[in-house]
Amino acid sequence: MAIIGSPYVDELITETADRLFAEVCGHEAVQAAEADGGAPEIWAAFAETGFPWISIDEDAGGSGGSLTDALEVLRVVGYHAAPIPAAETGILGGWLLSSAGHELPEGIVTVVPGVSGDDISMSVAGDAATLSGSASRVPWARAADRIAVLAEVDGSPMVASVAAADCDITPMTNMAGEPRDSVSFEGASAPVAPAGPGVDSESFRFRGALSRVALIAGAIEKMSQLTVTYTNDRVQFGRPVARFQAVQQHLVWAAQDAALVRMAAETAGREAGRGEARFEIAASKLIANQAAARATKACHQAHGAMGMTQEYALHHLSRRLWSWRKEYGSDAEWSGWLGRTVVSQGAEGLYPLVTSGSRAIA
Amino acid sequence: MRFTPTELTDAELALQTEVRDFLAAELPPGSHEPCLGMAARKDKEFSRKMAERGWVGMALPKEWGGSDRKAVDRFIVVEEMLRWGAPVGHHWVADRQTGNVILKFGNDEQRERFLPAICRGELGFSIGMSEPDSGSDLASVSTRAERGDGGWIVNGTKIWTSGAHENDWFVCLLRTAPIEDGNKHAGLTQMLIDLRSAGLEISPIPFLDGTHHFNEVTFNDVFVPDENVVGDLGMGWHQNTTEMAYERGGPDRWLSPFSTIEQLLRETDATDMEPALRDLFGEMIARWWGIRNLSLSVARLIDEGEAPSVESSLVKEMGTRYEQDVVEKLVQLVDLEYSPDSSSLFERMLADCVVTFPGNTIRGGTIEILRSVASKGLQGLEV
Repeated sequence: MAIIGSPYVDELITETADRLFAEVCGHEAVQAAEADGGAPEIWAAFAETGFPWISIDEDAGGSGGSLTDALEVLRVVGYHAAPIPAAETGILGGWLLSSAGHELPEGIVTVVPGVSGDDISMSVAGDAATLSGSASRVPWARAADRIAVLAEVDGSPMVASVAAADCDITPMTNMAGEPRDSVSFEGASAPVAPAGPGVDSESFRFRGALSRVALIAGAIEKMSQLTVTYTNDRVQFGRPVARFQAVQQHLVWAAQDAALVRMAAETAGREAGRGEARFEIAASKLIANQAAARATKACHQAHGAMGMTQEYALHHLSRRLWSWRKEYGSDAEWSGWLGRTVVSQGAEGLYPLVTSGSRAIA
Repeated sequence: MRFTPTELTDAELALQTEVRDFLAAELPPGSHEPCLGMAARKDKEFSRKMAERGWVGMALPKEWGGSDRKAVDRFIVVEEMLRWGAPVGHHWVADRQTGNVILKFGNDEQRERFLPAICRGELGFSIGMSEPDSGSDLASVSTRAERGDGGWIVNGTKIWTSGAHENDWFVCLLRTAPIEDGNKHAGLTQMLIDLRSAGLEISPIPFLDGTHHFNEVTFNDVFVPDENVVGDLGMGWHQNTTEMAYERGGPDRWLSPFSTIEQLLRETDATDMEPALRDLFGEMIARWWGIRNLSLSVARLIDEGEAPSVESSLVKEMGTRYEQDVVEKLVQLVDLEYSPDSSSLFERMLADCVVTFPGNTIRGGTIEILRSVASKGLQGLEV
């Protein structure tokens, strides 16, 4: 069982990441991370390869490579249900910090995803900011070195690099037991600088969604493969349950969703690597959200009671999918964005969106 | 199983533009009643005009009247025609599958006789597979051909034969040798049969709304000359399975409701649209974008010499269900009773979708059969 690589990425990247996680991120390791509230050994092995900083310029302290490469690594992270803040440290937090010219720390970086109820504000004097307010659902804040905080100050997006140690952090989790902490920034002071070109709350939202599409694509692919294997091994009525048409329906539907999301993730990743890709990202997040719901249902049904136990690995994937589905935009948020965009193109502009995506948007 | 993302080349994009320009000139929006996908009107004149452009039988070799184009080129043309609701019914089956069968399994004489006429958009073909007692279990067909003088004598019945009353020919799957040792797949042969042959009777099987598409075709000692046997005797099952692969996974399996959706947007004030309907537009276009990328990658695989039967079954199973989902969601949201004789074109089209789309997950292999094919592929078994 192995992940199939993207044609847009050097297969060495996919294979190396896949091998690494196969070694350090087995069922027990993921289970232990959940109990312990973190997995420093898995992170250390991942960080040693330089993978977290792919797509950030080497000059800025990153590992170089493209956004498409970084998304491929995230797909592998999702495939192995690796309990690490890979997206936060790299294409989200690392991107915010480096765009504003902040130094990249050696350790974990996280970001404020931005959920309702967050009320962060910044007062800026020169190159220092004093923060107030709080944020919730901050991934791995408890393990982070820095929290990259993006906020508008006098109408301009600014990025502060806040030391996590200066914040008051309350541990919280998502449905998979991954850290999603509440953070009070009250009184913290931090270096601040204007966000780089093209970096603002909207582009951050799209980038966050894209990170979840990659994770979801990997997780559904693994879940689909697990389900094929399990239903071939499991014998009832004298034959593998995969021989029954009723079970085959679940296998086929899960495989479809795996293919649909992988295709969407690879296409959106390709376009995002080139530039404007808002249609592709919005469409792929909506597709991924819906597919996550359908595929988890199909795979759980095909596994029977075994899939409902902690001892069998399906839940590492399904619980992450249920969580990631809701991060960086629910179905309603993205269908709303898409609906407004699509309808404004008019009837004659409808099909060109299907064939040309963002390039068709006037 | 692998779907590799692919993009259109500059030449392919130029073809797309050419097809769009052709359609805008021939069938300006609002000037025609769009068809629902491949269940399209037969319009010989339209087929002839497409053929003039080299868009019928386009993947067939130039030697036989084709254009030597690729599966992806055909995908582009078909996609544009279907989303436009163009009347492609006359040449549809010949273009999609029969031309390929004759090219691949026929002899030079048959190629000469049929392929140039197919590529001119002249010949309309039906499909002669199902029988009263053989649907999904196609290998159980019992219409038989027995040796006669210089040919074969055919007796039996084919049903669900779309367009037999208007088309010229069909390719029939016939039993030419009795079943031995329970091996149903042996002893079957494909033959080209003139729908106007003596002893061949065509009677309508009215569609649920009273329209006439389906027929029952009865053979009473119909003579089929030897030169109409396609491929080798007894190889019909293999040939037929190959033919089915051409049927699956293309734009005809996911675009059927598109012209209806487009018409809805044409008839609705976009600035004052209900948010739920507006969001549904967003969702639909996203899904079409996703499915289209999968379907396009299947066409590319064919051009790379692969036989993506598992992939195409997966796409067809998903695409046809999606077509039904789209209509159901529209029905849930749109506040009208969709009368078939409404003055609103959208309303008439939606009524047509509601009544005819249950067939989308049945025609050309039910989704249950497709799941069986796809799941064998997923399990690494022989498909």
